[in-house]
Amino acid sequence: MALLEIKNLHASVAGKEILKGITLSVEPGAVHAIMGPNGTGKSTLSNVIAGREGYDVTQGEVLLDGKNVLAMSPDERARAGIFLAFQYPVEIPGVTTSAFLKTALNAKRRAEGKTEVDAMEFLKLVKAKTAALGMPYDMIKRALNVGFSGGEKKRAEVLQMTLLEPRLAILDETDSGLDIDALKVVSDGVNALRAPDRAFLVITHYQRLLDYIVPDHVHVLAHGRIAASGGKDLALELEAEGYAKYLDTAA
Amino acid sequence: MKPSEIIDHPFAGAYAKRLGVKTPWQGHLPGPKMEAWRFTPLRTLANTPFVPASASAEVDVTELPRGVPLIAGAARLVLVNGAYREDLSDADFGPGVTISTAEAFASSSRSPLALLNAAYASAGVSIDAAGPGLRPIHLVSIGAAGAEPAAFHPRLRITVAPGASLTIIESHVGLPGQTYFSNPVTEIALAENANLRRYVSVAEDSEAFHLATATISIAAGGSLEAFHLGLGGALVRQDITVRFAGRGAAARLNGAYALSGRSHHDFTTVMDHNVPDCRSSQVFKGVADGDSHGVFQGRIHVARDAQKTDARQLHKALFLSRGPEIDCKPELEIYADDVQCAHGAATGEIDHDQLFYLMSRGIDPATARSLLVEGFLTEAVDEISVPEVQALFRDAIGAWLKSRDIARARP
Ligand SMILES: Nc1ncnc2c1ncn2[C@@H]1O[C@H](COP(=O)(O)OP(=O)(O)OP(=O)(O)O)[C@@H](O)[C@H]1O
Ligand SMILES: [Mg+2]
Repeated sequence: MALLEIKNLHASVAGKEILKGITLSVEPGAVHAIMGPNGTGKSTLSNVIAGREGYDVTQGEVLLDGKNVLAMSPDERARAGIFLAFQYPVEIPGVTTSAFLKTALNAKRRAEGKTEVDAMEFLKLVKAKTAALGMPYDMIKRALNVGFSGGEKKRAEVLQMTLLEPRLAILDETDSGLDIDALKVVSDGVNALRAPDRAFLVITHYQRLLDYIVPDHVHVLAHGRIAASGGKDLALELEAEGYAKYLDTAA
Repeated sequence: MKPSEIIDHPFAGAYAKRLGVKTPWQGHLPGPKMEAWRFTPLRTLANTPFVPASASAEVDVTELPRGVPLIAGAARLVLVNGAYREDLSDADFGPGVTISTAEAFASSSRSPLALLNAAYASAGVSIDAAGPGLRPIHLVSIGAAGAEPAAFHPRLRITVAPGASLTIIESHVGLPGQTYFSNPVTEIALAENANLRRYVSVAEDSEAFHLATATISIAAGGSLEAFHLGLGGALVRQDITVRFAGRGAAARLNGAYALSGRSHHDFTTVMDHNVPDCRSSQVFKGVADGDSHGVFQGRIHVARDAQKTDARQLHKALFLSRGPEIDCKPELEIYADDVQCAHGAATGEIDHDQLFYLMSRGIDPATARSLLVEGFLTEAVDEISVPEVQALFRDAIGAWLKSRDIARARP
């Protein structure tokens, strides 16, 4: 069974149809890259899968391990294994990153019937994960995302992902805002998580990321539809030729 | 204010009849037509048949009510129904601090409630601090009504001598399930280069009334850092006036409130800048749930001569449901031209993007909302410079959040 199954998904925002029939099947262990021009619905697709409000799904289905994702609340989806690394991570004043991480981690552990981590275990775990991502450990004492630089926010998203070990990770332009070294560190973090029972949807504008996180499939999203799918070479082709031919045909 | 000074005031009659007629003062309470009381109606207070609270010695209080923290290193001073209880207080306040009970001393406040206090207060309690290395004081005011609703009028004076530095933590609480009216008046004088850190927590019983009036004067170079927490009571008002009396004086006056049920909480502040080169800053944050009502009235007055004043004020509040009401009234009266004054106010609901972000990490909505509310109030509590007190107040807010299910209160 596919890990994620999207069937003929239509969704609109403020009365305007953005997703116009998306069908996509993601097998466990696979990495799918989604590319496409600005404003074609890549973030909309991520948000609909994660359960953000403000999107009307007018047709279609999203299944995770065969279960109807669209009927679940965002927190249920997360506990079922969906993780969205936000294109624009949200600042949460007054809530320390560490308190947030611990709450999220324990919510997941409870859902899995495991015991909660205690303060010592948690600190050890976070120390190791921050070090692996080249983040200063002290960062977790700061309010979540508040005053983080663009790149720091993206690293913090990946830190959350490596802590929560989701089944399906959606990375919405996680590479934008990262410097060249950070891109490598973050990609290593993602690659380390690659596993037979886990899948990734990697949304990006840049082929460079896909040199590090090598995808099994590449899709072009244009005008709310998947206009083309192929192997990793499709990304190279897009890099060379741009999106013009998909915009013409899909218009 | 000496009894002789209030002879021309409506409460003079009340004073004459004290301990006599049951509720002679209630007809004289400020009404909604008085601008300062527009948002805080006193009808219920006026209609409750209070008797004067028993002299404290007769009240059977042998231990502190639940929720009053034990503060390591602080000397405890306990008032029951407004009167000093030696048996519950520490014997030794350390060098430099003198506690005395004195005949009611003057208050510079002309608020009707302060006058009422003057008419009814029994002996005042005076805390006089001088010299280095002062031990912090934990003042606990306990309301204990008994079978009938009872009123009491604590009268406090705090003086800090030149160059001295004092920390005082106040816990205002009551015995559960009782209807009482606490009407404390506090007069504070900071001498030149004196410092006071004053942290006040008002967590009265849900049937209780608490109308506090505090006046703080700060001489040249002196500084005040105050934090006021309001966590409940049927009707609570914390009325705080800071008078800058000498150059280079500074005040940081911050606070937070968290309201539920039918609680009403009012912060009324006045920053009275009469001399040049003084600084005041205020950050107040509140959350309101149920059918509660929050009020913030902040007046900044800068006299013509008070050049180079720096005065800032911020009030932010969150509605946790559709039921509550929040009124905010900043007032800037600025007569000097070379000043920096700023005020800001914002009310809203819990941010949907923030809520989604937390939930997208598997955190259930109740916990997510609770984290956000705590974070919102924490930003104000972070202004407290003493880490132990900061932790104490944060815990109090945490307990308030736990005691209720804010998840059910959907916007
Ligand atoms: N709340 C909204 N109200 C109106 N239009 C919206 C709203 N949210 C998204 N849209 C529109 O939906 C379209 C798709 O947006 P989306 O963010 O999914 O694009 P994207 O493919 O992620 O683009 P980018 O590459 O720039 O991140 C855009 O035209 C956008 O303006
Ligand atoms: Mg996008």
